[in-house]
Amino acid sequence: MLKNVIITGVGGQGNVLASQILGRASVRAGLKVTIGETFGLSQRGGSVMSHIRISDKKNYGPLIPPNMADIILGLEPLETIRIAPEFGSDRCVYIVNSRPIYPLNAIAGEMEYPNTSWIRDVLSSSGGRLYWLDATQHAVELGGPIMLNMVMLGALCSIGGFAVNEEEIRGVIQDIFPETKLKANYSALEMGKRLIKEYAN
Amino acid sequence: MNELFEIKGGDERLLQGNEAIARGALEAGVRFCAGYPGNPSSEILETLAEAAKELPIYAEWSINEKVALEAAAAASFAGLRAIVSMKQNGVNVVSDFLTNLTLSGTGGGLVLVTCDDPGGISSTNEEDARLFAKLSDVPLLEPATPQEALEMTKWAFELSERIKNIVILRSVSRLSHTRANVLLGSIPPYENRAFFDTKSPFHTFPVLTKHLGRHRKLDEAMAHYEGSSFSRYDGPERAEMLVISSGSSWNYAAEAVEILGLTERIGVLKLGMTWPLPVNILRRYLKYSERIFFVEELDPFVEEGVKALCAELASEVGIKEFYGRSSGHIPICGELSPSVILGVLGDIFSISWRAEEYRARMKSLLPQPSPPREFGFCPGCPHRGTYYAIKEALAWDGRNGFVSGDIGCYSMGIWPTGFSQVKSVHAMGSGVGLASGYGKLGQFGFDQPVITVCGDSTFFHAAITALINARFNNSDILLLVLDNSATAMTGFQPHPGTGSTAMGEKVEPVDIETVCRSLGVGVEVGDPYDMEHTAETIYRLMQEAGQRVLILKRKCALVQGRQGGFPYTMRVDQQKCLGEDCGCGRYCTRIFRCPGLIWDSSVKKARIDEVICVGCGICASACPSEAIIRQQKAPN
Amino acid sequence: MEQFQGELIDRVFDRGICVKCGACVGLCPYFRYFDGIVAVMDRCVAGTGRCVQVCPRAGYKSTAPQENATDGNGIGIYRSVFKARASVDTLHEGVQYGGVVTALLAYGIENSFFGGAIVTDREGALAPSGMLAESVTDIARCAGSRYSAAGSLAVFNKAIKDGKGNLAVVGLPCQMEALERMKHSIPDGAQRESAVSLRIGIFCTWALDYRMLKDFLRANGVTGAVKKYDIPPPPSEKFVVFTEQGRREFPLMEIRGLVQKGCSLCRDMTAEHADISIGTVEGEEQWNTVVLRTEKGEAFFEEALNKNIVEKAQLPDQNLNHLSTASRNKRKRGKNAELELSREG
Ligand SMILES: Cc1cc2nc3c(=O)[nH]c(=O)nc-3n(C[C@H](O)[C@H](O)[C@H](O)COP(=O)(O)OP(=O)(O)OC[C@H]3O[C@@H](n4cnc5c(N)ncnc54)[C@H](O)[C@@H]3O)c2cc1C
Ligand code: SF4
Ligand code: SF4
Ligand code: SF4
Ligand code: SF4
Repeated sequence: MLKNVIITGVGGQGNVLASQILGRASVRAGLKVTIGETFGLSQRGGSVMSHIRISDKKNYGPLIPPNMADIILGLEPLETIRIAPEFGSDRCVYIVNSRPIYPLNAIAGEMEYPNTSWIRDVLSSSGGRLYWLDATQHAVELGGPIMLNMVMLGALCSIGGFAVNEEEIRGVIQDIFPETKLKANYSALEMGKRLIKEYAN
Repeated sequence: MNELFEIKGGDERLLQGNEAIARGALEAGVRFCAGYPGNPSSEILETLAEAAKELPIYAEWSINEKVALEAAAAASFAGLRAIVSMKQNGVNVVSDFLTNLTLSGTGGGLVLVTCDDPGGISSTNEEDARLFAKLSDVPLLEPATPQEALEMTKWAFELSERIKNIVILRSVSRLSHTRANVLLGSIPPYENRAFFDTKSPFHTFPVLTKHLGRHRKLDEAMAHYEGSSFSRYDGPERAEMLVISSGSSWNYAAEAVEILGLTERIGVLKLGMTWPLPVNILRRYLKYSERIFFVEELDPFVEEGVKALCAELASEVGIKEFYGRSSGHIPICGELSPSVILGVLGDIFSISWRAEEYRARMKSLLPQPSPPREFGFCPGCPHRGTYYAIKEALAWDGRNGFVSGDIGCYSMGIWPTGFSQVKSVHAMGSGVGLASGYGKLGQFGFDQPVITVCGDSTFFHAAITALINARFNNSDILLLVLDNSATAMTGFQPHPGTGSTAMGEKVEPVDIETVCRSLGVGVEVGDPYDMEHTAETIYRLMQEAGQRVLILKRKCALVQGRQGGFPYTMRVDQQKCLGEDCGCGRYCTRIFRCPGLIWDSSVKKARIDEVICVGCGICASACPSEAIIRQQKAPN
Repeated sequence: MEQFQGELIDRVFDRGICVKCGACVGLCPYFRYFDGIVAVMDRCVAGTGRCVQVCPRAGYKSTAPQENATDGNGIGIYRSVFKARASVDTLHEGVQYGGVVTALLAYGIENSFFGGAIVTDREGALAPSGMLAESVTDIARCAGSRYSAAGSLAVFNKAIKDGKGNLAVVGLPCQMEALERMKHSIPDGAQRESAVSLRIGIFCTWALDYRMLKDFLRANGVTGAVKKYDIPPPPSEKFVVFTEQGRREFPLMEIRGLVQKGCSLCRDMTAEHADISIGTVEGEEQWNTVVLRTEKGEAFFEEALNKNIVEKAQLPDQNLNHLSTASRNKRKRGKNAELELSREG
């Protein structure tokens, strides 16, 4: 078994934490996991992408070869279509948060941020399966945009057939967060699950 | 207790490459750890500093890399195991000491870790620091995975002690920032027996004898390595191609061969030591194939070494055909990836591997690649205020002045986020050295004012000497110290001005203002959030001669965010907002460019992005029509 | 028609002919008057360009009336010309010559003919700059001439943005021309016109570049703020500055090298777009030459005369002739300079 997952987004969205939680959950589950992080100037509004490779056999290399991602967890729409041609495929599952983070050059009017419904159309015509979720909106309701990564992780474990289950994720969350923050994080996971269910219907 | 520091070992953990290096050092019984922060190396010393809170070891953030190595060498001279970590640029800084240290030799195991940054993702340059190993005749190790990083680090100490010289361990961003399962070993018991044996001093004389000795040590290292298990060969005995790889890029080569179904046709050799090249191992595998393909990050280092060896061994190993950087199969710069290696092998072996159909479909859906995201200062960043003030002052001055920049978050002043005010950026402290030079050009007709900027951490690292140079030679220099109380670029490591050490001990901070005053240069202090006033101060100082320092104090926005947050809730009064009209022309979103302000194209007015804006409030004073309104947050 | 800031940069700033009238300043964040210069702060993209429309140096069709109307004396259209001076009670300290400007302004403010006046303040740590005077004290403090252009229309623009109206504006001929252009500027010309109650123009042959002047003075050992500048009437050929340390004289020849480049293009010596224009009277330092040009200006001056704020007398023919010649010469020089500039492209 090998599951190649990419989490893509913008600095500050909690990408690295999400991939770490996923990685620790995998180790807990007795699996071999390798995570490659590409961040650079990430805290400064740049693109951030993590490659997570989970296997029951061996530790794979840190980068997923072209068009071999099984799942792309897009924390931001533009970042998702940025990498979809290089890493997606006909069998790729896209779980995408609909809320844009506008690049400075788009805010400044020097570049057009593509219409999000167009992005959605592109991804649904890509051949892969798409879950398009208003995750930021729900994260804000749960206590702030920082909860976004947890909502998306919740969504990830509930699409079926994923290597790591929610129990392990909860276990890691319990390890790394203080008592007071557990409830909010658990409800974020629940929210992600709910969004997937609602979207599927 | 942090599970990373548990003594016993035996468990598998998810470790980052840098953490694995740190753990390897702990398992080797390291006592003294030093470094200077810099992506992608910082987590090594950070981890060791954390360990130092629980284990009887010492860790420090040194003032710069050279001092770090010197401090660590002292420990080695006293018989202790010591490690220093830095990014590739840091090796340039240590090189003067390094090339002498390698003549004197060392005592306790001493390991220098360099983390190179192929692609220059978080650096001002792209540099292969491996060349310093060759330059100073010391062994060079290149781990490929986090597990190997741990083991190789441990082994490096042994090797260093065996040959009595420093060993360089080279990581790259891709390894340093990779996390994977790592099986921990145990940490040995500690003994305190530090002692400098005055009967065997450490110096470089007689130079020739020592130089010769240094080469002998290399031979010994090679022999020792060849008996280790860090080399690996996968493939047939007669191969259509031999891939020689080192470090993290070995993963790409191995996987590419697998994906292309070439495991029976291509052999992949992984080298753990790349200087000196393990001649006997190479002698053996070079015979396996006529075609040699080099896979390594950055310079053709192994490539050139092996080519020379092939010339020497031609009668034994035969004539070769080489694939790599000089053949043009691999780009001469930039980071490697699975797709680069797949591309080369796929073409040579005529195997198609790309998801052509999918790619064609995506190409028709997305004819243009997505535009890159512009880098920018964080919302609330004091540097935005600083550069805004600089921009104003330079415009008021009108003599075509510019900023001589330095290394830190504020290097981004070369981009629109810093109003593109910075016109040169090179190395730590170089902005100030350059300014010291510009300040003497008046006699040659140079009349452009120069402002130089450096951060608080950079100030101590190398800017201070340049400032003293300016003072000594009476150069006209205006230095703005952007004091945000953090080495923000690399993750908030303490430095002499912050008042605490790597290990969290409270110390009396070295006050930049006092230091400057004691040099006899003019010093003023300002607040970058007060942009107008700061601009006026800068303008005034620009009109003066001599050495002037303006310290602009404001905490890094990320630090402030954790330490109590910001005072305001912001909104744009869209009634007052002029938007695109004459009188504004989208000033806030187009020029001021804080990501917290966005353009609401439906009504053609600016708007606050509540998800991004932190509420520092400085944009309010930039708006020409007082449409950006700040409201005091309710105290919580 | 769309007009962009870029045109102003090309036509004026890049050619170094901005005369620091300040008309483009204070409308937006893209220009600032600071320490004697008008600085372009950033690039604007608005296409309605009020900055371009109002600039007297942007090279758009001159609105100067004398080019169309009959202009016998070479000093533009006027109703009367004479000499005048502040009466003994209204003569303020520090006035340049007869003190008429200051006296009229003080009178106007005191009797609410206007709510405020745009004048030019003395220099301090920075160059002289405009000021919105709303009291007699403010007016008095700004008496006297600063022989460098001081961007005071920036303050006018700011005052309008702050919702002020009913203003008197004192300015150099280029500033009066800018005010004239503002009337027709889109979209708020009418509003800006209606905010002006009285335009007092002062005669001008040239203005100095403040920063060059400062460097010159510094090089000659004059440091600190200048309290008063004077150019005694010909044939003295002197430029005099008064500072804390006392009085210093320089040959006018040397000073001419410090004249701002844009002044060479100027064709107006007597502020032909003002309601009242005021200058010196050669050889009679206690007097001013006064030109009443509009009905409004005339009515206001008559009032002040009736209230004994100022006193008037006949301007000798010889002085008028002199003024005419000087004014015609300036016009000719300006035309030639403009031709030359257009040839340079
Ligand atoms: C740059 C310059 C050049 C001049 N050249 C000539 C000339 O060639 N021939 C001539 O006859 N007269 C010239 N004058 C006018 C002269 O100096 C007197 O200002 C004028 O005669 C009025 O005298 P007054 O006694 O009424 O002045 P005051 O009562 O002292 O009032 C002078 C008024 O002018 C304003 N002022 C001062 N400096 C400036 C400035 N730089 N820009 C705009 N307004 C300012 C003051 O705020 C004050 O309100 C010039 C003035 C200036 C500023
Ligand atoms: S700067 Fe002020 S007026 Fe201009 S767009 Fe922004 S909020 Fe509106
Ligand atoms: S207050 Fe203004 S400058 Fe500060 S973060 Fe918010 S939008 Fe940016
Ligand atoms: S006046 Fe108008 S067009 Fe000119 S720079 Fe200012 S905003 Fe732009
Ligand atoms: S002459 Fe006046 S309007 Fe023209 S650019 Fe200079 S200050 Fe602006």
